Amino acid sequence: MSTRQDRSGLGRRRFLTTAALSGATIVGASALGGLDADAAFAAEPSLDPAIAKSSFVEGRITGITGSILEVAGSQGGHSRVQMTNATSVWKGRATTAAVIEIGDGLYARGVDMPDGVVAADAVWVNIVNLDTQIRGIAKNRIHLAHGQHELVGNVLADTSASYAGRGLTSDLSRLRIGQHAQVLGAWRPSDDSVDVVRISVGH
Amino acid sequence: MACGSTSLWAGETSWFCCGNAWGPCGSAGGGACGNCQSSANHGAWPNASQACWNITRPDLCGENIPRRGCGAVMNVKHACSGATVCITITDCGPRTKEWCGEQACCNGACRVNRVLDLTPAAFSAIGNLSSGKLPVYIYE
Repeated sequence: MSTRQDRSGLGRRRFLTTAALSGATIVGASALGGLDADAAFAAEPSLDPAIAKSSFVEGRITGITGSILEVAGSQGGHSRVQMTNATSVWKGRATTAAVIEIGDGLYARGVDMPDGVVAADAVWVNIVNLDTQIRGIAKNRIHLAHGQHELVGNVLADTSASYAGRGLTSDLSRLRIGQHAQVLGAWRPSDDSVDVVRISVGH
Repeated sequence: MACGSTSLWAGETSWFCCGNAWGPCGSAGGGACGNCQSSANHGAWPNASQACWNITRPDLCGENIPRRGCGAVMNVKHACSGATVCITITDCGPRTKEWCGEQACCNGACRVNRVLDLTPAAFSAIGNLSSGKLPVYIYE
């Protein structure tokens, strides 16, 4: 690990744990965010080597109380995720905690606090990364098969595509029915569709 | 079984969901081994069985990946940061043949061909889920 990574990782994680433990630096959910998740984690997770193990939380958000997200795990069980000034948030893009809603799906990475809460250094809301096949293409939608299920992919203004491993482009015209496609996007709980952030097709 | 340090393979990893889950992942099931869970440090290997190999065909991308079945343990290391996660193989995948030549890069160094899929728990332990893919070294 480089010196730069050491400094950024340690600094970020120590800030996180300090923020979570002190309470004084925790802010309300509506005021959270401001950190770019992609920039923060593009090269490496900010896991402090001094902390042997990070924690992971998965599930649906059942409640939001101040800076705490109540999460019902898909395998059962319940977790509490604490947002801090240092928590990075992704929901379709790098954003702030203000856009997190009850009913959203969540993956969170953080560290266990003594009271059982997980102080998050990153949360990904409604993120999916699906192996699909293109079944239909419309102006603003892509119809996909995911396993045995049909799925609607919403094409957004900033949806990008990658063809045969090449760089991202805004040109979606080369997508073809029948192609296998990896879809990274944000699930919409309201209608079970997916906002397509990036669609990658192979050969 | 402990996570080892003997080099096994290198390439690109993506991530996938399995087991009980929310959203479109809810239909994913427990994978080829029946016990895959998104919230556990699990992975999918393209040569988990002959039937698996017939689907993934990494050889078509020049990757003659060895057989490692359900329950195999691997140590996955981010190619640049050195962050590692110990995983158990619980599924078959990815479909390497569909992504020949695809690469994931960091600090100007790239790994080619999709040779591993990680659950969200495992992937997020070494990188950012929104990146979708990472360059990794794999040990056993």
